[in-house]
Amino acid sequence: MAANNFSVLHSSFGAMVFLREGLCPGLTGELIQALRSKGIRTVEDLVSSDIEELAQKCSVSYKALVAVRRVLLAQHTAFPVSGADLYEELLSSTAILSTGNARLDKLLDSGLYTGELTELAGAPGSGKTQVCFGVAVNLSSVLKQSVLYIDSSGGLSATRLLQLIKARTSSMEEQMEALQRIQVAHAFDVYALLECLHSVRSGAFQQVSGVGTLKAVIVDSVTAVLSHILGGKQTEGMSLMMQVAGELKTIAKDLNVAVLVTNHVTRDGNGSLKAGLGLSWSHVPRTRILLQHVERPGSGLSSLRTATLIKSSRQPCHLIQEFDLRSWGETEDQLQPGPSGKRKLVEEA
Amino acid sequence: MQRSLSSFPFAPAVKMRLIHAGFHATADLCDFRPLQLSKEAGISQDEAEEVLQAVRSQPNQGRAAENKLTALELLEREQTLGTIVTFCSELDCVLGGGVPVGKTSEICGVPGVGKTQLCIQLAVDVQIPLCFGGLGGQVVYIDTEGSFLVQRVVDMAKSAVEHCSQLAEDTEQREALKEFTVETILSNLFLFRCHDYVELLAEIYLLPNFLAQHPEVRLVVIDSIASPFRHGFEDLSYRTRLLSGLAQRLIQMATLQSVAVVLTNQMTTKVASGQSKLVPAFGESWGHAATQRIILHWEGQQRLASLYKSPTYREATVRYQITGQGFRDVSPAYHHEASADPSAFSSGNAHKRPRVEEA
Repeated sequence: MAANNFSVLHSSFGAMVFLREGLCPGLTGELIQALRSKGIRTVEDLVSSDIEELAQKCSVSYKALVAVRRVLLAQHTAFPVSGADLYEELLSSTAILSTGNARLDKLLDSGLYTGELTELAGAPGSGKTQVCFGVAVNLSSVLKQSVLYIDSSGGLSATRLLQLIKARTSSMEEQMEALQRIQVAHAFDVYALLECLHSVRSGAFQQVSGVGTLKAVIVDSVTAVLSHILGGKQTEGMSLMMQVAGELKTIAKDLNVAVLVTNHVTRDGNGSLKAGLGLSWSHVPRTRILLQHVERPGSGLSSLRTATLIKSSRQPCHLIQEFDLRSWGETEDQLQPGPSGKRKLVEEA
Repeated sequence: MQRSLSSFPFAPAVKMRLIHAGFHATADLCDFRPLQLSKEAGISQDEAEEVLQAVRSQPNQGRAAENKLTALELLEREQTLGTIVTFCSELDCVLGGGVPVGKTSEICGVPGVGKTQLCIQLAVDVQIPLCFGGLGGQVVYIDTEGSFLVQRVVDMAKSAVEHCSQLAEDTEQREALKEFTVETILSNLFLFRCHDYVELLAEIYLLPNFLAQHPEVRLVVIDSIASPFRHGFEDLSYRTRLLSGLAQRLIQMATLQSVAVVLTNQMTTKVASGQSKLVPAFGESWGHAATQRIILHWEGQQRLASLYKSPTYREATVRYQITGQGFRDVSPAYHHEASADPSAFSSGNAHKRPRVEEA
């Protein structure tokens, strides 16, 4: 039930809704005309004015106005959800999806949580896309769930996905099935991304899949479509960015999927790295991880990376884990062995 | 399901008017006619028509659905698109068969290290006929530095034709050779000379139309992206925005029109913690632009190519040389050594394998 309430919360548009015929029963054209003539144009105007006075001024029925107001308020309000219901919902439907990398799981408090947005930030070649591949492959071939991969930077390589899947299963049939569970969408500009996210929200990707339910949406990368419309004197870009953020959060909650996005990095005045897209975006992801090269003198190009937790509501920040991109999917014995990722919250609770 | 009108690609002024007139979501517009809407929202009738068209095409899921595919279909697509060989077998090996079609690749390096040579080599190699394992495609070459030398194309074309004629075995290949001559190679190359960044941007905006008219084009070379953008910008953040917008267009073009996009970039000196080192120009944000990045550099007298960033293949460094014939392996002897070395990564085979199994 709580899920329904969430959707109500998200789908209510501010107060700037104009009074129109058919907006609610009882709101007739006649009534609207009468209200308009007295300067009552929006739902906000109607709700905030004194009904008794208004009924007199427009010479319409007081009863009808009260009824209309009650329906409009109900339509545009958010329902309260009790904490107990919310917790019940959490226990019954939240899944923790293992990333397939034991060290990264440790950083994320055992994996990606459905209903939440996780962000990977990093410089070029720091392994963001590889981590996305690893997560997608682990979900599709080990957990047998369906994944949507929205590629906006051209980085998605099915050849590499197959390589990763081959490391997990040798059966040709299973490999093909795993590949089929990864759905791919290309979106190279922000409008295409919004359209794609909208169709996800309308359930377009859930119906088609057939095999396994959609458990994760990966966007690699959000910065690619947003960075060039931000900054300067444009205000449009900021609005579009917040729309992307809103859609992603709605998808995470409504469809109960884990959302994983990648972001670029910039350097601040002191030369230290910080995630891109600025302050407003930094409130969007629930968990944020910074990926970096491990620089060791003389080693040149290596596949070692560090992951630093910069934002989290579960773990202390600035935890650092080191991992090797080559050995994705290999379990490490020295790490505490646990059940592989799903529904672990129940035990902890 | 409601979709907010501000998420549509309308002009900001049109959006403002719509929102002020009380239209917020697609459902608000569902039973309006253009004339009615233009009156109600105070926009022109053309604009109203455009808005309604965009909103009404929604139920069919428009572009998003067309672009939707599974990873399995993507894999098949990647395998049919193929790669462009570089004629340096070690580099091909590192890149999994050559420069991938449908992706963007950036080649960075100091002056004289061989960026343009590699570009010209690719421009010739993309035209190798299908029966010789090539792509038989045409090439668009955008020259911004004036460094394109047609004499070098002739040299490399001659040597490629010679190479193929030595390999010709069956009648099909001999037939194909009649069409694969220096003249045809030159006539399948479309050269654009852009003098400044405005010309370059305009060209790239128009290129999708050109590609639609010339569906045989498999390679777009921009040599170089750096020179038009490295001077004449007072506002650097404006430059960064222009460049990242450009990068998105190139990626879109590579994916939707199945071409390989190859960019070259210059190197610049960066001073960090008291030490200076050479890094590709335009800073870190540009580093995200291309799907893969190859850095060409010197080590003493030896030219080296490093795959610095790639979503598919492992980072590696190999040697190459530039001869009269073009971009080549250092020596055949070294090549055997390298292929025996397990660290050299059997990507070439891994790439081909699934195709054989499916057949």
